Amino acid sequence: MASNLTEEPAVEAEVPPASGREQTPKTSVVEQTHGGSSEAMEAEAANGLKPFTLEKIDTSNVENVTVEDGLKARGSVGDEIHAEDAEIEGIRGKNGSPSECREPCSEPLNSEEFHDTNQEIISAEDHLKTLSFAENQVPDNKLDAISIENEPENVRELEPDIDAMASVASPSSNGYAGSSSTKSDGSFSGIEEIDRGGTEPDNGVDEFSESASWVAGKRHLNEDDASISWRKRKKHFFVLSHSGKPIYSRYGDEHKLAGFSATLQAIISFVENGGDRVKLVRAGKHQVIFVVKGPIYLVCISCTEEPYVALRGQLELIYGQMLLILTKAVNRCFEKNPKFDMTPLLGGTEAVFSSLIHAFSWNPATFLHAYTCLPLSYSTRQATGAILQDVADSGVLFAILMCKHKVISLVGAQKASLHPDDMLLLSNFVLSSESFRTSESFSPICLPRYNPMAFLYAYVHYLDVEMYLILLTTNSDAFYHLKDCRIQIEMVLLKSNVLSEVQRSMLDGGLHVEDLPVDPSHPTLRSGSGSPHLGMQDHVIAGSPRQENAGIGGPAGLWHFIYRSIYLDQYVASEFSSPINSCKQQKRLYRAYQRLYASMHDKEAGPHKTQFRKDEDYVLLCWITQDFELYAAFDPLAEKVMKWLGCEVLEWKQDRGSGVETRSSFWSGGVPVQAAELWSRFMLTVKV
Amino acid sequence: MSARRRMLLKVIILGDSGVGKTSLMNQYVNRKFSNQYKATIGADFLTKEIQFEDRLFTLQIWDTAGQERFQSLGVAFYRGADCCVLVYDVNVMKSFDNLNNWREEFLIQASPSDPENFPFVVLGNKVDVDGGNSRVVSEKKARAWCASKGNIPYFETSAKEGFNVEAAFECIAKNALKNEPDEEIYLPDTIDVAGGRQQRSSGCEC
Repeated sequence: MASNLTEEPAVEAEVPPASGREQTPKTSVVEQTHGGSSEAMEAEAANGLKPFTLEKIDTSNVENVTVEDGLKARGSVGDEIHAEDAEIEGIRGKNGSPSECREPCSEPLNSEEFHDTNQEIISAEDHLKTLSFAENQVPDNKLDAISIENEPENVRELEPDIDAMASVASPSSNGYAGSSSTKSDGSFSGIEEIDRGGTEPDNGVDEFSESASWVAGKRHLNEDDASISWRKRKKHFFVLSHSGKPIYSRYGDEHKLAGFSATLQAIISFVENGGDRVKLVRAGKHQVIFVVKGPIYLVCISCTEEPYVALRGQLELIYGQMLLILTKAVNRCFEKNPKFDMTPLLGGTEAVFSSLIHAFSWNPATFLHAYTCLPLSYSTRQATGAILQDVADSGVLFAILMCKHKVISLVGAQKASLHPDDMLLLSNFVLSSESFRTSESFSPICLPRYNPMAFLYAYVHYLDVEMYLILLTTNSDAFYHLKDCRIQIEMVLLKSNVLSEVQRSMLDGGLHVEDLPVDPSHPTLRSGSGSPHLGMQDHVIAGSPRQENAGIGGPAGLWHFIYRSIYLDQYVASEFSSPINSCKQQKRLYRAYQRLYASMHDKEAGPHKTQFRKDEDYVLLCWITQDFELYAAFDPLAEKVMKWLGCEVLEWKQDRGSGVETRSSFWSGGVPVQAAELWSRFMLTVKV
Repeated sequence: MSARRRMLLKVIILGDSGVGKTSLMNQYVNRKFSNQYKATIGADFLTKEIQFEDRLFTLQIWDTAGQERFQSLGVAFYRGADCCVLVYDVNVMKSFDNLNNWREEFLIQASPSDPENFPFVVLGNKVDVDGGNSRVVSEKKARAWCASKGNIPYFETSAKEGFNVEAAFECIAKNALKNEPDEEIYLPDTIDVAGGRQQRSSGCEC
């Protein structure tokens, strides 16, 4: 039961000496997160490759040819990438937003990793480049010059590896013949334009904000693996069949990427042939993550520095989304016919996937595995639950009333329970399919966590622009019954003013840190930076508009928090407010939480109870008990806060025996975790 | 199925090393030929879009290495192939004799549902060499073999001169297409209320 208070060395002086004993340097915790998984994988990959390395030895002639090729390909292509990266950073610098390129708290970790696994990384890097970028002739002589300078010294020692890698797919060709025009458009001015135009979603601005101008659906269709813009994308997702036929690609046209997807299949199958599995390949800044689900292969190539587990979780969700549309019965098609082409079955669902991928960068539900509710008074939610319950009793499996991605109320038939991931995938499916908005619909869907093998039927109807009702049944003839149910529900909701209350709640927004109460009797907080005058309870229950004190942050320098109830599978997140205003900042914080989540839940190093880390952006606190998880970001400059936090956490640790009491004293200064009746505004109080 | 739907055809090229598989592909895809021999390592992947009978196709061409040591890659590479192209060198008898091995190996590894009717195409390459004087496999012999294996279409090609390459690949596409199975209606089960298990897993598996 040892709890780890882990933190950055920089803060060490701030923390009372007593903590030193239990302290683990932050790096070690997170390093284990990465190290554990990547080590395992690298061992696997190495095993898988051995036969080839051996085979290469007895073929000296061929080897020479290949090595030369390999080096050539890497020389030009590899350094082209360096040059690009430099360019990107330069542009970012000008915009004054280095967030993506440099994430302070993870940098030292990565460099440590690099020392450990240097060899593997470099060989993998070459692998990647030769596989995916070979034959892209770079016309620019300038690049060759750079390439010589940048040539890593230790590459030459690794030639056997390169060679072995190249055995899977020769570097000599991966071109796409159908579009010779894209191949030669490698002028660097073109790239700059792409970046400046802000068309790359992962740059943050247009992808982050839920309400911003983000549009679902496929973009950059004209790209393929020979386009420089395509290669510059920060995060690729691919789905392909076990025969190497492309099923989905986030960017670019699937058919044009047929050669690339064949390469991915070759890598996966090659390692599989050796009785092994490839999970992750690190290539410089890039991670290539593989997930194999029977005949369906999913691959993510990312340089976003998100943890491996997070990216793998995203691939799992993409697979889940696919099952939601098709069920696992699709495997039977592949068994019958390995040539099976799945793309027609997924016709018209591109927006569903792009919107899910978009959610990976703004919706905490995608890594917390919890859903969130629209703030409503307890009585309103009770009333809504009651009418849904009536309907559920008439043979509906689940009745869900939602407003955008937030739950208003949710009931299930007896013994039926709904997994938060299914909720996420279902609401994403409904929200991203325009046709649901225009009329009431009845559609087969599958809830992968409930039963991945078979369909349910979903009756979907929008009650207003943002509010929609989903009724799930196992009966394919139930449309008219469900329609009647909906009419009944709608009537009750209208009569009880729920509709208008929901609209008001949408306008009011959620919980603001500025509104959190401060316990005036708390010794260290009396002079805190928060707003000590607001009675949280009165305010919240009354639902009155927020006091005008935005821009200061909450008590104790609290900027933002997410509270997740483990039992209820729900989370409450405070609204973003100053100083975390911009989409970029929000996305950065979101990624920081994601990293916290990953390291706290790391199976090898964890599970941890508390984690406390500081960097120049914020002080992050994660606290996990058997009831809840709390993720909070504080002002890094509020030194008193840190002292206070340090003391409080210690105090709590020393006094662990008396759980509830100490907890409430802890949070009296920060987030009021203890007030159950208060949370009813933000959560469904029953588990479904 | 709408006629607008694009199809992707996976084409595997097999044959002894040095018979000109990569050259044929390069001639077809890039219209280029090089006299220099570069052994393929593992496999090369090329993509070519073609239009045929008003439909758009993407050929995903798997150019495999001819050396025996790469045969362990078979299952992985052959899975889900739509057509298999067998290539030999008309000037090398051994490469012709081996066609049978290549064909059988493919059928074993890929285990297509209907091996009798799986579409193969045979190409006799390098007909340009020495003005045909060094030729050791006659067209008649090759055609006889093809006929004995269920009337495999046969083409004499020169990757160097681009002779017959386009026609051969057009036939390859046509044959791959012929083998297209009838589209079945996709109809998964519906959850049975009684049997609808609640496999509520304990949290995330990540």
